Amino acid sequence: MFKKVLIANRGEITCRVAATLHEMGIRSVAVYSEADRGALHTRVCDEARFIGPPEARASYLNAEAIVRAAKESGADAVHPGFGFLAENAAFAEAVEAAGLTFIGPTAAQIRAMGDKREARRLAEAAGVPIVPGVEAADGRALVRAANAMGYPVIIKAALGGGGKGMQAAHDAKHLAEAIEAAQRVAASAFGDASVYVEKLLEHARHVEVQVLGDGKGRAVHVFERDCTLQRRHQKVVEEAPAPTLTADQRAIVTHAAVRLAEAVKYRGAGTIETLITREGQVYFLEMNTRLQVEHPVTELVTGIDLVRAQIEIAATGKLPFEQHAIKRHGHAIEARLYAEDAARDFLPQVGTATRVRWPDGPFVRVDAGVESGDAVSVHYDPMLAKIIAYAPTRDAAIERLLGALDDTRVHGVVTNLPFLRALLRAPQVRAGSYDTEWVEREFLGGFAELMRAPVPDLALAAVAIAEASGAPGLRAATAAPNGAAGHKDPFAVLGRWRQSGLGE
Amino acid sequence: MKSSWRDGERVREVELKPLSPGRWRVRVDASEFELACETMPDGKLRLVGEGGVTVAEVTAEGARRFVRLGVLDFVVEREGAGGSGRRRAAGGAHDGGLTAPMPGVITKVMVVVGDEVTKGQPLVALEAMKMEHLVRAPRPGRVKVVAASPGQMVQSGASLVELD
Repeated sequence: MFKKVLIANRGEITCRVAATLHEMGIRSVAVYSEADRGALHTRVCDEARFIGPPEARASYLNAEAIVRAAKESGADAVHPGFGFLAENAAFAEAVEAAGLTFIGPTAAQIRAMGDKREARRLAEAAGVPIVPGVEAADGRALVRAANAMGYPVIIKAALGGGGKGMQAAHDAKHLAEAIEAAQRVAASAFGDASVYVEKLLEHARHVEVQVLGDGKGRAVHVFERDCTLQRRHQKVVEEAPAPTLTADQRAIVTHAAVRLAEAVKYRGAGTIETLITREGQVYFLEMNTRLQVEHPVTELVTGIDLVRAQIEIAATGKLPFEQHAIKRHGHAIEARLYAEDAARDFLPQVGTATRVRWPDGPFVRVDAGVESGDAVSVHYDPMLAKIIAYAPTRDAAIERLLGALDDTRVHGVVTNLPFLRALLRAPQVRAGSYDTEWVEREFLGGFAELMRAPVPDLALAAVAIAEASGAPGLRAATAAPNGAAGHKDPFAVLGRWRQSGLGE
Repeated sequence: MKSSWRDGERVREVELKPLSPGRWRVRVDASEFELACETMPDGKLRLVGEGGVTVAEVTAEGARRFVRLGVLDFVVEREGAGGSGRRRAAGGAHDGGLTAPMPGVITKVMVVVGDEVTKGQPLVALEAMKMEHLVRAPRPGRVKVVAASPGQMVQSGASLVELD
């Protein structure tokens, strides 16, 4: 087993990986940029190494600096987390070339699945149905091919992931503009401007299967997750199991996922993403060769620590358990808390999370990257934390998550908390009757209206009184323990907020 | 004591009159009420009025005030406190945006001085936190000034393009 592992990432995922390393008795090494000096992820690891300026390109995407830090720290393995270099084949190669173990798939697997066009070919060869799509050398040819295939379509970065650079287009006129925009994002985010076009499957649900492979042709699945609640192709709320999946569909997606993982002799943890249409047809979307942001919901329903499984596979070349030993109980649901202003078109927010209080309580898990006083930088992804709840049933898990969100307080930067709370109270979400575009098509309009409602008089009175009395509340304070305050009945003037779905 | 607070598109006026220690006569816009307020050891405010009791937490961050009432969070911004109003007014998205709606890096400039643009036409692409935002023309017009160039890092509210 490894003695020391460097985590080539930042924020909440570094904290998450460090927690498992700590439990396994393996020393953890964080890396940090100039902008992250003293950041939470550097405080939770056993040691921290400086890797460069704030810009991700010069630090968290700087493979050379990270490998050097790993060597200097005496680490024997590198965990890439997700994002940044997690799906960068050259980085995996550089790590191995330095004599260290890369906790993840082989460089060849990252490269093959990283090119979404190649991944589609591999899936097809493994007998997994793929979404109809077209490839072409340039934008004009793509538009012509899309015209022949029919609209609506979705443009994707060939080397993309995480929804970045994805754009939908409903006619040829918008397709050209969307291709250009997607190419720019792709060039900047993935270093390659190549894009391709897929048929946009409407009224579909996003269901993905977690797999683990030993790198020698054996693989197991750890059931599925449903990530249908999305805004602009970014997942917002994820859950396990998928609430609308039939037993037959579950068998189809999990078997297809294992078949693909075994066909490519996949090593480590990966995720096969699929879309399931209203008619029940399953289509392969892509395979992510890393841990997913939403992995905690799988961990909560199976009791399996996926980071530990990654580490054990990397260290031993063996699967830590057989398929029959993997069981699933209850329901888990996760909400992603972003520094985004839901009242202003979800613009990313920058600043200091002056006062933060995370929820706790039985069956509530928080994977956070900030504590009170930590900076939210313009340079990185605006996700602050994931809040996850587990319960025996889906309804109870949603209730528990809502309670946890009520107990969450982030002051100093604006967050999407009001959006998450309203979303989880929507009757369609309770009923499980939505598709990947439902949030934008049907939910956001009413929600925007809600966000335009005036701030209650009482809130303004509190602000003015705090100001006038030089209130201690205006000083940055450390996180207060959870008190009963959050559960007291607000004044009657708050009734309209409660009714509107923002409150209780 | 009077103060003004920006609440989305509105400006809210608050007036406070101390009645006795810990008791206030409050006017918010057109509505008036009395409140007793006690600061608790953890810094939270315990507000008692005709409607009952609630606990408020107020946090200052620059000109912004974050306030939590019970389990609900709100944000307002001090109006007319040197520069903050300007930053708000420069808030891009709602005003149709000739300014950067957030700090970021300019990835593409699609117009040059003298171009005639139509309403909604993309002028500048800005990337921050790995997301691209297109700054579009809020109205038809002719481009008078282009203050943005690709690769440039800009702050929120920075002027990017001026129309005649």
